[in-house]
Amino acid sequence: MVPVRRSLLQGAAVWAFALVAAWSLPGALWRPAPAPAFPSHALLPAACALGALAFAAPLLAWLGGPRLAARRSLALLEAPPDLLWAGALLAFWPASWGPPGPGGWLLAFLAAALPGEVRWLSAALPGELPFPAAWGSGVVRRARRLALGRLVSRWLAARLPVWLTASLVLERLLGVPGLGMDWMDRVAGRDRAGLTAWILALALLWLASRPLDVEADA
Amino acid sequence: MRNRLPALTLVFLWALAPVRAQMVDESLPRDPGPLDFIRGDSYEQWILQSLAGDALVGLGPDGRVVPRLAASWKVQRDGAITFTLRADARFADGGPVTAEDVQWTFTEIRRDPQASPTKRAILENVEVSVHDGQVRIQSPKPAGRLLLELSRVPVAQKGHVDRGSGPFLFQKTAAAWTFTRREHFLKPAVDGIRFRLLPDATGVLQALQKGWLTVGAPPARRLPEAPPTHRVVIQPMHAQLVVWSRAGAAPLRLLERWRGDAFPPHLLGQNARPSRGLWPETLGFEARTIENAAELAHLPATLKLQYVAGEESVEKLLLALRERARKDGIDLQLVPVEQALLVDRLQKGAFDLACSVVVFEPHPWAVFEYLEPQGPMNFTGWSHARFAELAAAARVPGDPAWRALHSLWAQNPAALPLLDFRSVIWVDKRLHVEPGPLGLYLGTPGAAGWRWSR
Repeated sequence: MVPVRRSLLQGAAVWAFALVAAWSLPGALWRPAPAPAFPSHALLPAACALGALAFAAPLLAWLGGPRLAARRSLALLEAPPDLLWAGALLAFWPASWGPPGPGGWLLAFLAAALPGEVRWLSAALPGELPFPAAWGSGVVRRARRLALGRLVSRWLAARLPVWLTASLVLERLLGVPGLGMDWMDRVAGRDRAGLTAWILALALLWLASRPLDVEADA
Repeated sequence: MRNRLPALTLVFLWALAPVRAQMVDESLPRDPGPLDFIRGDSYEQWILQSLAGDALVGLGPDGRVVPRLAASWKVQRDGAITFTLRADARFADGGPVTAEDVQWTFTEIRRDPQASPTKRAILENVEVSVHDGQVRIQSPKPAGRLLLELSRVPVAQKGHVDRGSGPFLFQKTAAAWTFTRREHFLKPAVDGIRFRLLPDATGVLQALQKGWLTVGAPPARRLPEAPPTHRVVIQPMHAQLVVWSRAGAAPLRLLERWRGDAFPPHLLGQNARPSRGLWPETLGFEARTIENAAELAHLPATLKLQYVAGEESVEKLLLALRERARKDGIDLQLVPVEQALLVDRLQKGAFDLACSVVVFEPHPWAVFEYLEPQGPMNFTGWSHARFAELAAAARVPGDPAWRALHSLWAQNPAALPLLDFRSVIWVDKRLHVEPGPLGLYLGTPGAAGWRWSR
């Protein structure tokens, strides 16, 4: 229990530092303006995107197994930055369809995030040679399912803050205001209270994932 | 007859079909925040407020004061101005615009410590009163200046900071700021304007080329051919890239020399040209040079210039300036700083040389921001014993006092413009707009004067 408590204290100290940094962010605005409202309209598209990712990535990892982590094609898909996916989507999106909107953003988000997450999960799966591969495909699938079952919740807790804020590039290029852009707007506009609320929400998310870490340590 | 019947039916059905509103699609580079006539103070807020609100007076395409909410006004002997309001002005909820609304707006701006600093500065020491339905405004500022400045203070309905009487009705949706035409004395001709948030210049370019934007500014770093559906509109702007110096006038004298030959024309493009004077020529000032005889020989071999990071076109121009400085044996070190941090350093005086883009108010008194002791651009503590006397004497543009003020500044300037900016935009060929130094929105009639050509 002692190492767990220490890691909890360390994590809490890091989040407390982040909170203080957000609250005391230096800088001033030439023409101060009221902070933009929280984009609550972006919560549903974000939930859809994260839900699709949380479903598709474990499913593909389950189907592909640990060998998927070494696939060159997956690495090639993972390599392009978000900017390229968004640029490609804009370039190929038919003009007559109008701006891509949240649907296009979801496509670009999955194209940018899915390969990396699938490889992350596949790399974390235990090896299958010689066992359980020797016991047959049914046992292999069951072993993968059990391993993913243990991994998924921790994976979600670890990656969620990244997904929530890393969609910034896609949002800016496609013109779909979302959570990533809101985060950056508050930094640029020195909305210290809003930024602190963001950090607090992410800290609570981290805190909620602690019991899962305890289980893993055990 | 057999052929005529279906044709007539088609014509009849076409006439019955609901007419689809033809919106103007535009983009905003930043989220302007909630529409707020009291606290809103960014450039994007000004656009929102100019569409959804009316000030007492407006600025016409030639920069002169024209009636807006006030049908007429009279300057009294004591310098006060009495405004008579239009009878047909209505707020978005249908309520009439009254003198009490004007008084409430002005009082609220002065009372609220978080109100727009620009508006608070305009209304500093102003006394507003209501007599027989007329608004009386008394200010220590000259009437000519006050009238020009009042065009930047739209009137909100009493108790509703987000409700104006402008030519368009504002509605915020999930991903757009939408303005729809309403009954208004300016008689707007377009059905509406829809803004999308597009912070990325490449995204704007793609949207323009695909026809998703009616009006938009292509990236400054490279100007591709406008698509066949759009035409190029170039507007003068009251905007400059300004360098402040806390190291005296000597570095500014060098910069004054370099700005003339440092920037290759292909880098400047259509968006900018080297400044020639000390104060903006677009505001009516003549191009003057620095008259300070500061000793250039004692300048340090290294000068540090802080600038706002992330503006690619400005960064390239500053690199050209650095190369020019190298020819004179000066190492001009460019220090990129995040915008809010740079503003903080400017306000604290933590710089030797610092530069930023400045958008001036559309009247000559805008340069007082450099000169007044508490001026928002007086970052170096500039002062002169004769300033107060000359400022009081500059009552209308062109007064001799302006020339004397200009001389004071030329003898000991604290800032120097490097570049004069122009606004290059692409506009759908079917849309008729009136370009001007105030841009497409901030003048009168502004967007209410746009119309679609058939």
